[in-house]
Amino acid sequence: MRAAIRDGVRRLLRLPSRTARQIRDEVDEELDGYLGARIEQLVSRGMTPDEARREAVRRLGGSLERVRAELRHSATRRERHLAVRERVEEGIQDVRYALRGLARQTGFTATVSLTLAVGIGATTSIFSALNALLLRPLPYARADELMKVTLVTPGRGAVHGSDEMVWSYPKYAVFRDGQRAFTDVSAYAPNDFTLTSGEVERIHGETITSHYLPVLGVRAELGGNFASDIDAHGDARREALISDVLWKRRFNADPRIVGQIIDIDRQPFTIAGVTPEGFAGLSGQAEVFVPITTRSAEDLNQAFDHEYSVVTRRRPDISAGQARAMTALVGQEVDRRFPDLEIGKAWSAKAEPLDHARVTSRIRRSLWVLMGAVALVLLVACVNIANLVLARASSRGREMAVRLALGAGRARLVRLLLTESMVLAALGGALSLVVSWIGIRLLSRVDPTAIGGVGRSRSYGLVTVNSIHLDIAALVFTLGAAIVVGVLFGLAPALHATRASVAETLKDGGVSTIQFGRRLSARGLLVMTEVALAFVLLVGSGLMIRSVANLLSVPIGADPRNVLTVRLTAPPGTVPRDSLPGLYENILRRLAALPGATRVALGDCPPLNDGCNRTFAARGNETRGPDRSPLVGIHWVSARWFETLHVPVVRGRVFTDADRVGAPKVIIISVSTARKLFPGENPIGQRLSVGQGGFSGGADIVGVVGDVRQSMDSTPMLDTYIPFAQSPRSGMMIFIRTAGDPAALAAPVRSALREIAPRFPVYDLKTLSARTAAISAPARFSTTLLGLFAAVGLSLAAIGIYGVMSLMVTERRRELGIRMALGADQSAVRRMVVRQAARLAAAGALIGLIGAFSLSRVMRALLFEVTAFDPATYLVILFILCAAALAASWIPARRATLVSPMEALRQG
Amino acid sequence: MALLKGTLDVLVLKTLSWGPMHAFEIVSWLEDQSGGRVAVEDAAFLQAVHRLEERKLLRAEWGTTKNARRARYYSLTERGRAHLRVESSRLVDHLDALVTILGAKQRAAAP
Repeated sequence: MRAAIRDGVRRLLRLPSRTARQIRDEVDEELDGYLGARIEQLVSRGMTPDEARREAVRRLGGSLERVRAELRHSATRRERHLAVRERVEEGIQDVRYALRGLARQTGFTATVSLTLAVGIGATTSIFSALNALLLRPLPYARADELMKVTLVTPGRGAVHGSDEMVWSYPKYAVFRDGQRAFTDVSAYAPNDFTLTSGEVERIHGETITSHYLPVLGVRAELGGNFASDIDAHGDARREALISDVLWKRRFNADPRIVGQIIDIDRQPFTIAGVTPEGFAGLSGQAEVFVPITTRSAEDLNQAFDHEYSVVTRRRPDISAGQARAMTALVGQEVDRRFPDLEIGKAWSAKAEPLDHARVTSRIRRSLWVLMGAVALVLLVACVNIANLVLARASSRGREMAVRLALGAGRARLVRLLLTESMVLAALGGALSLVVSWIGIRLLSRVDPTAIGGVGRSRSYGLVTVNSIHLDIAALVFTLGAAIVVGVLFGLAPALHATRASVAETLKDGGVSTIQFGRRLSARGLLVMTEVALAFVLLVGSGLMIRSVANLLSVPIGADPRNVLTVRLTAPPGTVPRDSLPGLYENILRRLAALPGATRVALGDCPPLNDGCNRTFAARGNETRGPDRSPLVGIHWVSARWFETLHVPVVRGRVFTDADRVGAPKVIIISVSTARKLFPGENPIGQRLSVGQGGFSGGADIVGVVGDVRQSMDSTPMLDTYIPFAQSPRSGMMIFIRTAGDPAALAAPVRSALREIAPRFPVYDLKTLSARTAAISAPARFSTTLLGLFAAVGLSLAAIGIYGVMSLMVTERRRELGIRMALGADQSAVRRMVVRQAARLAAAGALIGLIGAFSLSRVMRALLFEVTAFDPATYLVILFILCAAALAASWIPARRATLVSPMEALRQG
Repeated sequence: MALLKGTLDVLVLKTLSWGPMHAFEIVSWLEDQSGGRVAVEDAAFLQAVHRLEERKLLRAEWGTTKNARRARYYSLTERGRAHLRVESSRLVDHLDALVTILGAKQRAAAP
């Protein structure tokens, strides 16, 4: 039957090409005909039929079978080749056809491609962040062998243990000498330094062991590493490595830099080398690296002064799991050597791939949640577009039916419609690059390092936001997203539109392939999906918003408003320790005289900074050794610090000017400390000793003050305060309470300090509220993004509801007209439409509820004082969703009541 | 005489420029035109026709012969016609050159 159709016609109608059997038959028929004609010719020239046949076969090469096989083969190849060619030509034709169709409907095309551009662009931006911060391999040689080794501390009563504890040097030494799992181990600690030669500057750096760079596989760009014997205990040569950045900034990229002297904290260091471009240590911000042995031997011998992070290179023949087990064993040895008698429980050690430690688990999780959210938005956008495409396809139902009736294959038509969707997706994908370019620029500006901690690095860790780029990975992602999206929103409508029964559609006049009421329509289903997805998004962002609100409403215990803070450090050796109190007193007096400054005080640590220093405290006149005393925060403050920060005095008094060197040592404790160390007693007048600041011999407790939060999401620390005047330090933070805007005082403060202490680096000048705001910045940022995604999702869902309701009203004009002619009043008609919308929204919300419940487990770890099933959040979101559904159906409902019966009947 | 490489294709195309023919018609036309001087091997010829069709220089359709038999009729496509123009002038040039060279040799040897 098919063979009877001429080839040209077959191709014109897009009918399938010949089967293998047909090809064989055709070859045989042609060959037989040819052979027959040749024999006839030879016979007519006088041969006998037998001779003629032999001659004909001879001319064909002797073997008829071989010729037959060869010809069949070449014909098959020919057909296959032609079929492929046809496909390609068809494809090009389809794309042309799609472009023509889309160009005719600019409104539709613009809507769809812009929606896609935003959806894909946002997804690509978040993906880029995810890729840079989580996925891309670390920039070190054989980075999979690098492991981070931490101490694991047991819990102390209410305080949770930690499996990310850093090391003390003695414990590190036990680990270094006892381990067998690693080819090399090293330790480092972030450390701030003051450059004292030339212009005084405060910079970030690291104190490192000599194996640090070899472990990472980093080689100096100029010069070399420290001499390898430099880890030996004792006073080592003062050598330093400087970063490429510092080399360019301070030394003008001097090629003869190696061997020159640089003054760090007023000590001369010989520059041993320059680290390669882009390397800023594992702390992420280091510009100078000094050997660990420049610390005093006394410092290094403190087994309970935990400060050093440990990074190691695993032996290639040992798996990460084995390394972990072997490290735990060495951890037991460490605990045997330095047992913690205070808790009475064993510490241990843990090794995990460095790659896992690149960002905190919190950031890792937020990124995945954001990625999920933005993918949901893209999905909602897809569903919305599918709806539009479906509407467009069914308006062409007649065209499709005609094509089907003429014998075009359904697959062929699906391909035609899909091509159209893919062209749209490609357009959207191309436009999305603009969106992601902007998105990525915005994302890479969120700089967590701007938060500026003191001892603790608050960077994202091993990778920085600066490394977020629109790179090949992002482009591949965009391409993949566009393809997936095109299939997602194109396939369902394509299948649906070509399913229409031929007879029915033609008879129908191609108006309605969609029915409302008893049967759930394709479009209704799509809208339900949209509502469900939007619901999940709303719940996620709702929970995050509540969580952040809770976080921000935690009372800090101090008043950060109208306070300006600035750090000042006397470079070592410039001022004798005994003169420090007098010097700082002068500085405070000078600053207090500035117009607008109401109170001025010294402290060593702003609130919410993880409490800069910790030590061990005990009742009485001596700590029982660090291994059997509770851990407390210790703060150096001047007399007016509590007043300046509005920290309430609960009992006793604050420091006075009389509490100075020579006078009896005094100490102030926080409410929590009093409760822990002096339960049910009056602590005033009792003795307390703390392990730092020269207070280990005990001091009189003179006051109890309110708790000040050192971090937002944990219980208050046990804090103690000692008077700066009795334990002077060279580096302090100045707190200035102002009458008006504190930022306005920044310039006068800076110039006053330059005048009175010209050789001191002045840095980190910020308002206290900017500091506290920066702490919650990442949380607020991701919450803002989530909220934005949810809003977009909700609007898309509302648009979807609006579209479906409008269509329904249009399609049912006739019925509505009759109803109204028969006396249905306007409100009844309106109710009918709104009820329909409400039903869709409710069904969608129900599905969304199930989805949100099942996803809540992921959210739980990100939430602060909100359960993942927070009923208030769910109720509010249900309300918002209903309101949106009602609003979206209101206009179509109104239009329904305006249908004039006569007109509807006449037109219908 | 055996044919030069690529010549068969041009000859087939040239033959078909007179109108659609089936395979044996082409062969016998070629034999007639050359007075039997061009010997076409039948198997190679049939393959060549397939190849030309694959390259879209020919198109094929089933038709009926004078003797009321079914046969595959070949005709030139637009591309085939263009290919014929280019290739035949190239071939003629080539032969012209050969003739000139061979002729010149004889003249040089004459005096």
